[in-house]
Parts: sequence; structure tokens; C-alpha cells
Amino acid sequence: MNLASLLSVALGAILADNFIFSRFLGGSSFLDNSKTLDTAAGMGLAVMCAMSAASVLAWLIDKFVLIPLRLEFLQTFAYILIIVCLVQLAELLLRKPLPALCPKLGICLSAFCPKLDACLPSVRTSCAVLGVALLSTRSGLTFVESVVFGVAAGAGFLLAIVLFACVRERLEYSDCPKSFEGLPIALVSAGLIALAFSGFAGLQIR
Amino acid sequence: MNGKHRLSAASSPHICSPFGTRSLMLDVLIALIPALCMAVYFYGPRALILTAISVGGCEFMEFAYRRLMKKSNTLGDLSAAITGVLLAFVCPVTLPYWIILIGDFFAIIVVKQLFGGLGKNFLNPALAAHAFLMLCYPIPMTTWAKPLEWPGLGISVPGAVTCAAPLSAEFMGSGILPDASLGDMFVGNIGGCLGEVSALMLIIGGAYLLIRGVIRVRIPLAFIGTVAALTFLFPQGNGHLRWMLYSLLGGSLMLGAFFMATDYVTSPVTAGGELFFGVGCGLFTVLIRYFGSYPDGVSHAILIMNSTVCLLDKAGMPARFGVAAGRRKAFWKKFRAGGKGEDAS
Amino acid sequence: MKMRMKIRQQLKEGLFTRNPVLVQQMGLCPVLAVSTSLCNGIGMGLSVLAVLLCSSVIVALLRKIIPDRFRVLCCIAVTAIFTTAAGQLLQSFFPPLSDRLGIYVPLIALNSMILSRTETFAFRSRVDAAAVDGAVQALGYAMALLLLCAVRELLGSGTLGGGLLGAGGAGIRILPEGAGLRVLVLPAGGFLTLAVLIAATQYILRRMAEKNAAAEKEAEL
Repeated sequence: MNLASLLSVALGAILADNFIFSRFLGGSSFLDNSKTLDTAAGMGLAVMCAMSAASVLAWLIDKFVLIPLRLEFLQTFAYILIIVCLVQLAELLLRKPLPALCPKLGICLSAFCPKLDACLPSVRTSCAVLGVALLSTRSGLTFVESVVFGVAAGAGFLLAIVLFACVRERLEYSDCPKSFEGLPIALVSAGLIALAFSGFAGLQIR
Repeated sequence: MNGKHRLSAASSPHICSPFGTRSLMLDVLIALIPALCMAVYFYGPRALILTAISVGGCEFMEFAYRRLMKKSNTLGDLSAAITGVLLAFVCPVTLPYWIILIGDFFAIIVVKQLFGGLGKNFLNPALAAHAFLMLCYPIPMTTWAKPLEWPGLGISVPGAVTCAAPLSAEFMGSGILPDASLGDMFVGNIGGCLGEVSALMLIIGGAYLLIRGVIRVRIPLAFIGTVAALTFLFPQGNGHLRWMLYSLLGGSLMLGAFFMATDYVTSPVTAGGELFFGVGCGLFTVLIRYFGSYPDGVSHAILIMNSTVCLLDKAGMPARFGVAAGRRKAFWKKFRAGGKGEDAS
Repeated sequence: MKMRMKIRQQLKEGLFTRNPVLVQQMGLCPVLAVSTSLCNGIGMGLSVLAVLLCSSVIVALLRKIIPDRFRVLCCIAVTAIFTTAAGQLLQSFFPPLSDRLGIYVPLIALNSMILSRTETFAFRSRVDAAAVDGAVQALGYAMALLLLCAVRELLGSGTLGGGLLGAGGAGIRILPEGAGLRVLVLPAGGFLTLAVLIAATQYILRRMAEKNAAAEKEAEL
């Protein structure tokens, strides 16, 4: 486990195996919340935090609870439980205690991610968060690697959703055939960005 | 909209300019002619025929699509012709004709016309088609003919004499300098795609475009400069200067920097955006060349930066007078007030 | 008789006019990911059918007991239980298919189509209505998934039934070797193919609506 392997894990999660453009994880929340840049940025940041936390917690639960007690088959259930609790906690904190305890953070959050509250339910049911938890434990990563993986995967999701939101705003001026209006032309754009990202396939820091 | 009524009512001042879409595109085509001549010299008449088929395919598909969708005929603006030429230039001369027609279809119909035509696409059509063909037909797209051993004119030429391109895994892909001399690399006496081999001719074409004012110098300078700096600093065990020169002259860097990255539709409008775009292209090119699985990262690097252009334009948008500063002041006021325990809502 | 008409109407809606994937555009995550071969599509389709059917029935049975506040959590929990069961069954009886489907089997638990059906419909209906609705919607989902799989595999690899039929599981070769558009079995191709299918569905539905409107106008005159 050296810097090169950590960098490989990070670049792999952001570019080579991007969670949206390569693995399709989080597709539904990605498509719903990327119509404007504001919602996209808020959703991206929320999912990034959730993914980082979920990756670490999943690794810990797997190592100290599921494997010793031979309960690996409960992986899905346990991870969903963690994610639901995480999001519930975040919702509770954001409402009253955080703005009261740390008003500066609250003001920053409301300025940069005005629609954060609205996207939390989406985060709870996002395949990306459960996906990162499953992948970080099934790929046999060490603790530090799983932290890096979680943060990088979240950064990849944020990058993807922000890029896509900007392209989607530009699609307002496009003149596509009537049958393609709405989701189809958005999917074509996503496919073209995925084509661009395919250049990073097999990226490895040697 | 009746095409007969060409009078448009607009208030003064009116500026008369010799530049129009068609004249700009014509300039680009003229700038590409030297590279085409060099390609014919090294690879024979098949180079010309492949380019002609590509251009014909693009023009036909644009005409057919717009006819089917009952839209105006835009063949006159020559943009489809340029896409055809550029797509042929990034393909090897031994590519079967039916493959380049599939590439034409993807470039014109999927990348350009589906979004509404010229000006509405967000990716460079020729490069997107190149990436598409690289994924679909990797072997024909990476079989390069040996220069001066002209391949035949048939639909596909399985018996052509081939060689390895300088950037492929046999040479620079593994950190080894190719056995072609720098002079050969500059003139184009190497294996590679049709239009990318002759750096000399491409630089001449690029200079023509700069002199005519069709392109600005920022993007090519930033792009080539970044690749030069990065390859000079990290020569993968070879001499700094030699590795840098080989990296600049090999692959489609010159073609990409002067003709593809500078495409008006898919590059930023602001000066800062253009610089950032060029640097980003250079960075990703070197990243893919050194660590990725494609030998030449230029086309994918430009495609990635194309998808960030919308973001760059938004970020570089000039602020409305008084509005942005007002918003910033309000934010800091709230921030400072919130710290003193007042209600921050 | 009325029951049969109602079921026919529901079937038409679930499979076509309100297809969960092509019209309602839900649950797209596994659709895009696993649709690279027909075999994967059959496996995923059957899993989704089993999970949605069982979840709908259980949620409909529990609807009187669980308060409305915990509706979403209850649906997620029930779906997760059945997904775990389905995953274990798949792993025991069809291990190569389970390997190919990978993490997308556990992700059925958060499939937006399943969650929305159980949350909005099953929670408020009787058990038999919920069961029929679950089955019909899942059939529509599976049908769209199979269509996408067939197109992607046929035009992308040139085979059909890879993993199930053909010599050594390679599938029946239909297009010559190397002639397929390989990009269609890659992620980028998934987005593009699904876009074309949804556009085609929108076109067909629009033409049907126009024809119906024209027929109604004629009937009035």
C-alpha cells in the first residue's frame, strides 16, 4: 500500500471506472437531479459525503461484525441500515442543531447548496451509496484504501453530475426531434460523455 | 421561414465583415490541403479516395437527415465536409471504406444533427466518431501502413505492408524512443493516421489559420505548451529534450491542437476559459499517454474538455455590474453576523 | 368478466403504454448495467419479478399495522429482505450468472421502480390488487430489459444467448465475427441504445394518440 496504489484507486474511482459513466450506479438520482446546476451541485456534495461515510462504515461493520459472526449474507441489509441511519442523522442535524451550534457552517451550506434538504431522500435510496459500500468490501481493500475509494468515488459522482447538469442546461437550446425530447436526448448526451470517459479505461499509476 | 425573403430588419450600427460561416470553413479546408498532399505522397491515392468517401458520406448523411426531418439544407456551410476530412485524417489509410461510413453516420447524425445541427453539438463530431470507431473496431483502427509502400485501392486491404507508429506500445508507449529520426517525424515519414503524420504541413496549415484570424493562438499555445512542459519534466528515463520533441511531433497533437481543439462550437468563449481548456487538454493527453491504455490520448483528452466547456463558460461569464459584488457583500455580512449568535435566517 | 377486462387493461398499461422503463423511466440503473447479454436480462428480470411480487404482497398485508410515517422505511426493509433471499438463491443455484450480475443483485433492494410501486400502490391496496400490479409492472420491466439486452447483444457482439446457449456458452452467432458495433455492449452504448428505445416508444405512443384523436374527431362529425 503505497502512494502509487492509493493514487491508482483514487483515479480509478474518479475517471477510469466512474460511478455514473462506467458503472451506472446512482443513475436514477443522477438523471432526476441534474436538470440545473444548483440541484446538481447540492446532490453531488450530499452524495459525496454519504459515499465517503458509507464506504468507511461498511468496511468497519464488515470487519468487526459480519465476518466474525459469519453473517455475510446480511451484508445488503446491514449496509442499507447504515445508510438510512446516516441520512436520518444528517437530516436531523441540518434542521436545528447544526445551524445553532455552528451558524457559519449553516450559512455556507445554504449559500452553496440551497437545495440540500430536498435531495437527502434521494441520497437515501441512491444506488451509488449502497454501491460504494458493496464495492469497497467486495474488492478486498484495506482501511485506508476504502477511505480513499469512498471519497474518490464521491468526487467522481460530483464531477459527473456537475458536468452533466451543465450539458443539460445547454440542451435547452437544442433542436432535437420530438421523440427525443426529454430523457432520450439527455441519455444520448450521457452516452457521449461516457464515450469521452472511456479514454481513461485501464488507467493505472505504475 | 421562407428562404426567399433574405432581408432582415435590425437596428444600426451594422458591421460588414468578409467573414461568414462558409468562408471560415473554406479557410480551414485550405489549411488542411498541405497535410492531405503529404498523406497522398506517403500513402498513395488511397488517402485521397478515403478522404473523398468520408466527405461524400458526411455530406450525404447531413442532406438526408435534414431532408427527412424537413429542415433547411445546410450543405452550403461546408461544416459536414470539414468533419469528413478531419475524421479521415484521424484514421489509418488502410481502414476499410465501410468502417469510415459508419464513423460518418455517428459523427453527423448522432453527435451533430440529433442535437439540432451546427452550433448545437457539445462534442467535436470527428473526434467523437474516432473514439466510437476505436471502441468498435480497435484492430483496423490501429493498423498503420508503412510510408511510401502504397496500399491498394480496394474496399479493405488486408495485404498492406504495416509498421508500428511511434506512440504505440512498441516504442513510446513503453518509454522507448522510436527508431525514426526527428527529421522523419517532422516531415511525416512514419507510420500513423492519414493526416496526423506530417507535423510540418500541419504547422503550415495552423499558421495559415492564425494569420487569417480564423483561430486564436491561446488554445494551441496552451495545449502544446502543457504537453511540452510535462514531457520535458517527466521523460520516462530518456533525454529530456529528445523525449519532448518526439512527444510533440508524434501522434495527432498538432492536428488536435490547431484544428480540433479550436473548433468554435465546442471550445470556450472566454479568454481564461480557452487557456484552461488548452491546459486541460494537454494534461489529460499526457495522463492517458503515460498511464492509460490508449497510445495517443489527444482525441479523448479533447473530448473530455469539450464536455467541461459548458461549465467553463458558466464560470467565466462576466458578472452583471453591481450584482455579483452585492451578493458577495450580503453573504459576508450574514457570515460575520451569524458568528455573533444572531438569527441567521 | 369485468375482472378480466381490468387485468387486460392493466397488462396493456404495464407492458406498453405505462411501461416502467420505457415510459415511466424508472429503475434504469440495473437496466443499463446488466443488459449486455440476453442471459443476464433473463436472470435480472426474474429476480425483479420475484422481489416485486413478494414485496408488494407483504407490504399490502402490513399496511394496516405500519403507520404512514414509516411507510418508506418499511418498504425498503421488506424489499431488502427479499433481495437478500433472491441473491442467496441465485448464488446457490446459478453461480456463474450471479457472478456476472455482480453487485446489481443486492442493488435490486433500492431499485426505484420497486420502491415506488410498493410505496405508492401496494401500501394502499388490497393484497390481490397489489399482487397483480406487482406482477404486471415487473413483467413490463422484464420485457423492456430483455428488449434492450437483445438489441445490445445482437448489434454489439453479433450473438444471441451468450452465457446460456451456443457452444461453451458463447451464444448463437448471428452477425459475422468483428462486424458488430462493440461499443454497444460498453457503458456508452448502453446509454445510446436505451435513448433510441425510449425515443421509439415515445414516437409510437404519440402516433397512437394522434390516430385516436383523429378517430374521435371523425366519430363526432
